Amino acid sequence: MGKEESPHVNRRTTRSSSSTTPNSKTVGEVSKIISNTQSLTVNDLVISDESISLEELINSFPHRRVQILELIKLLGPLNSPMIPLFVYGGASTGKTSTVLEIFKHLKRPFIYSSCITCYNPRILFESILNQLLLHRKNERNGYSSAKRCEKPSDFVNLLHDALSTFIDRLEGDLWKSNSKKSPSQVTGKMIYLIIDNLEHVREWDKSLNILPFLFNLYDILKMPEMGLIFISKTSLDTYHSDTGYAESLPVYFPDYTEDDLRKIFMKDQSNPKLYSSFLDVVLRPFYHTTRRVDDVTNAISPLYKKYCEPLDDTGITPDEDTKRKLFKHINPYISQFLKETFQVPSQPTLKASASKDKTRKKGITKPGFWESLDELDFHMSTCAKYLLISAFLASRNPATLDASLFDSTGGSGNRKRKRKSSEKSMEKKESKEQELLMKGPGTFPLERLLAIFQCISSVAEYSPGDEVPQIDGLGANGWDSGLMSDVLLQLSSLCSANFITKGGSCPLEGAIRYRSAVSEDMALKVARSLKFPLPKYLYSR
Amino acid sequence: MAQAARSVTSPPTAAAENNLQPFFVLHKAAPPRKPTGKTRRRIDLSPQKADSTVQVLDDNFRFESFNLLWCKIDCTMRNVLREINACVFEEIDRWVRESFEAIRACGVPNLARATRPHPIFNRAETAASRQLFTAILLTKNVEFVDDVLTFVDLGVHLRSSGCHVAQLTSLDFSAKNGVGGCLKTLLRQFLTVGIDAPDISILASWYTEQGNYESPLVVIIDDVQRCCGSVLSDFIIMLREWVIKIPIILIVGVATLDALRNTLASNALQCLFPRGFTLGTPAERMDAIVEAVLLKHYHGFSIGKQVTTFLRNFFLRHDGTLTSFIRALKIVMVQHLLVEPVSFALVGLINEEDTKSFGGENTLLRETMVKRCLDLPSFQRSSRSNRNGDIWDCGLSELKRFRKLWVCMAMCLYEVGKNYKITLLDLYCEMLEPQLLNSGTPCHFELEKDDHSLFGGLQKGGFVNQIIQIVRGLPAVELCELLKSWETLTRSITKINEKVKELQSLTTFDENRPRRDLTETSKRHTAKSNVNGKRDGSTINEKVATFVDCTIRRYMQPIESIPFNEIVFFDNVDKLRTALIGDPRRRIQADLLESHKFLKCSCCSKNGSMPSPSMHDTSILYTLTQEHGDLINLHDWFQSFKSIISHPGSKAKQRLRLSPSPKKRKGSIEPRNRSDASIQAEFCRAITELQIIGLIRMPSKRRPDYLQRVAFGL
Repeated sequence: MGKEESPHVNRRTTRSSSSTTPNSKTVGEVSKIISNTQSLTVNDLVISDESISLEELINSFPHRRVQILELIKLLGPLNSPMIPLFVYGGASTGKTSTVLEIFKHLKRPFIYSSCITCYNPRILFESILNQLLLHRKNERNGYSSAKRCEKPSDFVNLLHDALSTFIDRLEGDLWKSNSKKSPSQVTGKMIYLIIDNLEHVREWDKSLNILPFLFNLYDILKMPEMGLIFISKTSLDTYHSDTGYAESLPVYFPDYTEDDLRKIFMKDQSNPKLYSSFLDVVLRPFYHTTRRVDDVTNAISPLYKKYCEPLDDTGITPDEDTKRKLFKHINPYISQFLKETFQVPSQPTLKASASKDKTRKKGITKPGFWESLDELDFHMSTCAKYLLISAFLASRNPATLDASLFDSTGGSGNRKRKRKSSEKSMEKKESKEQELLMKGPGTFPLERLLAIFQCISSVAEYSPGDEVPQIDGLGANGWDSGLMSDVLLQLSSLCSANFITKGGSCPLEGAIRYRSAVSEDMALKVARSLKFPLPKYLYSR
Repeated sequence: MAQAARSVTSPPTAAAENNLQPFFVLHKAAPPRKPTGKTRRRIDLSPQKADSTVQVLDDNFRFESFNLLWCKIDCTMRNVLREINACVFEEIDRWVRESFEAIRACGVPNLARATRPHPIFNRAETAASRQLFTAILLTKNVEFVDDVLTFVDLGVHLRSSGCHVAQLTSLDFSAKNGVGGCLKTLLRQFLTVGIDAPDISILASWYTEQGNYESPLVVIIDDVQRCCGSVLSDFIIMLREWVIKIPIILIVGVATLDALRNTLASNALQCLFPRGFTLGTPAERMDAIVEAVLLKHYHGFSIGKQVTTFLRNFFLRHDGTLTSFIRALKIVMVQHLLVEPVSFALVGLINEEDTKSFGGENTLLRETMVKRCLDLPSFQRSSRSNRNGDIWDCGLSELKRFRKLWVCMAMCLYEVGKNYKITLLDLYCEMLEPQLLNSGTPCHFELEKDDHSLFGGLQKGGFVNQIIQIVRGLPAVELCELLKSWETLTRSITKINEKVKELQSLTTFDENRPRRDLTETSKRHTAKSNVNGKRDGSTINEKVATFVDCTIRRYMQPIESIPFNEIVFFDNVDKLRTALIGDPRRRIQADLLESHKFLKCSCCSKNGSMPSPSMHDTSILYTLTQEHGDLINLHDWFQSFKSIISHPGSKAKQRLRLSPSPKKRKGSIEPRNRSDASIQAEFCRAITELQIIGLIRMPSKRRPDYLQRVAFGL
């Protein structure tokens, strides 16, 4: 602690030679290494490419002045110990970028780990240690970590060792400060540990151990040279804390207001006048749906392209007239973009040719004639379609309704009818259990699905006229034979396509139960493509 | 087999070897249904003839010709599919390049920065710095089988153009392995070393270190809708954190956009900068394959109306995958080669140059073949030439000529229908209709009503009729184009080609095109007299339509009427169906009920399907099941089983009864020394077998003494 403080940024020097690198494996090999694989130095722990003044920092984050100043205050002057910080705020409110830019401004070394990239404790620990030990995974070490570390207890020990060597090195660098080598970008001998996306830790398996451990890390380590900063999307309250964590100071990043968003979007625009007129139109509706900068950016950047479409020169300053014209142009798109944030443009050439085709065709054939064919935009065999519809029906309708819906039209033979009636009584009882089981779209056993399938497919098969199947014979034959074995195959492929979900087994019967996962729109679409009167069969509650 | 069955019925031995019992029952149905069995049987049945060597040769030859033919067809199909995809692949490749440029435009981070775990914040907020470039490859198909190869091809294509490619499947995104699982696969594919603790930073250092940064990293994910959504979302969000540092470009295959939206979490969707690409739809591919295999490249065999319709229905209604269609086609081929006596002459037909020397290397074979040819019904029907030597060559060349004409016409018709969503398969089915020629006005027959419903107003007419209608209504420019394409299509057949040219000249004349020349106009007069002498004042469209009509009637004869058609023609739909579908459940049921047909033992064959004690337990039980409704009282069932088992002599009395009377039961206990326990054991085992086969279901808790029948009827 008591070493002399560096009064000026950039005055201290360090050496990036192999002798100071901790990565002992690379020592002998430095000469062999290609230029772009130098070993890491302390310098690499600071963002050092350009310096940024406080003024610039504050300017680059509109409406974050308070937070920036508070954070700098909490980080304290050089080499002063700090209490762990807990930075939180909604998604895309600039937490991570602000914190990182502050460190860029302060030029202090830090270690960053995101709990998204580090998806389990081991990766997190090893990632922290690797950075601290200035270890880089490369081909020579088989892309392995510096230390293998899976348990929190190991981590504490290793971290302690690593930290002390690291701080020794920092101090050593300070001692050597009077050498005439390239100036060190590192200031101070504190090392900060930033753990981002902390809320993801809660989803880890052993999060019960890891979370308290991370919160207590500062106390456990007892090393004032390490500063801890947590960044999270959720507030501290959401981390159940009954074990008495070490107090961490919360810093809240509030959501942006509409004005803030405008300022953010206006930053670095080539044609601010035009863009501001665009934002006048667009920002308000979007602000009502989402306040996340990234969401809004994603949504409005294609819109801006649309907005500029009628303009020949995007550099012009729009007058009232053009503004009105542009507004008229953009207006229909806004609601469309509001509804659908995930737009997928397709290949331009094919699209163009397709639209050309369409216009060409429209000239000749009656419109609406082919349109009905286009509605279902993917391929599915007829059998699978019927299965899908029957699954949808089985999920939608109560089982008691089946008999009344399908009995009269379904089986024609005697035996069939008899079976139906007994099924009816069975299903009555079943429905009682089902009422207990059922929440949301109903589940159904395989038998019920097959029964409905049989009914609706046979209805469709014989409804238009009885003379046809006899004459041709082929269609009907091909349809009936091998029905069962094939249907089960189709069912499994529907299941794997997520149209039907296999539920857990029924506790009473032990058989697997299914549930339809398609929306009503989709089912209706499928039914339309089959000319199946689905709405007639739907039971409205 | 009989031996085995008997040993099973006697309890002590059965107990010793009953470990494999369920499988035994399941196995029984299989052997006689195998297609290979047919050749064998043929050999067995004709040993008395001296030409057993011919038989062997025959079989060998069939096998060889099948291999040869299928090889060719397979090759054609692959090429066709590749061509279909080639365009999309090119697009994707270009897009990958563009995206890579865009990512690189955000700045190439140096080594130190690229491997640092904190995100890089870019001043210029472009999409590339926030989102992952993602190509969404819409397969538009519920089934995924057809596209597996496509994605493999895509990987190969991109690799050949210098990208690093990793291909992940839905199996990698399982909930069990989590993000680590897919990351591991990813790293293994890129780095080609196994990694203990997969971490995306490894990829970053690999990418910078290896000097790989000239080329993009492409990650292809096969079938998104089958992936575990949460894992995939995590994976995408993780990749997003490294977005500039590692220029990863995603290519995901998904059936529809909705499916993608349903699978991914919304915050993962936000990470994607999507671009849609569409693969050829199954119907398109189907058409291309039909065109290539059945029409364009003549593979020597053609299928009849019935088989085609069956295949079409199978495709549209049942399976809907190209894979199964191809498999079915293969089975057709196998069946054809096996069943038709001279079908192996196909090979000679294909190798055009040595048609004449066909079979020359083996005179014995050739002799039998010619003999067989003479027996062909089609030849005998049209027995016009009796010169033994020549008929062969004559017949074959005739067959070929006919075939060429037919294909040419079919292609012409398809050319019209192409733009009007008439699929080739439908058209093909219809053109094969033998009535096409004979009916007074063409195409007054019905296709399946499904198509009626599909094609709205034009039910009554078939596709051919529809096409003629289209030709009638075609605007002049398109008609011109159509004729031009016909002209190229018919180039090999002078007769038709001339007429087409005449029609062409007509159109140019009617439109007052400046570039018509004198020869064309002079031809015009002959055209009028030639094509259509009757109607003169009708429009050019009418003329073309009549031309189509005429040529169809004149040239599209059904192949059945041509001598030697048996060589190339297959239309046995029943054979195909049994080979393709198999229907195992039905088989099992039938075999259980009629086990004596297979066992051919003396004891059971006399009394038909009556259960006798020497029958297999499972068989007895299943026969007894037939008396019940969908619920079977366990007690009654057991009693009747017991009475059958323990009454070997009194078969006459043991007629089927709806419910065994208590009197019978009493009588049945005494004569046998078999213990109740052993009978019960047999009973239980048989029931278990039935359950395993899936014919009955065990008692539920609600009705503990009733079993449920699952399968009804045959």
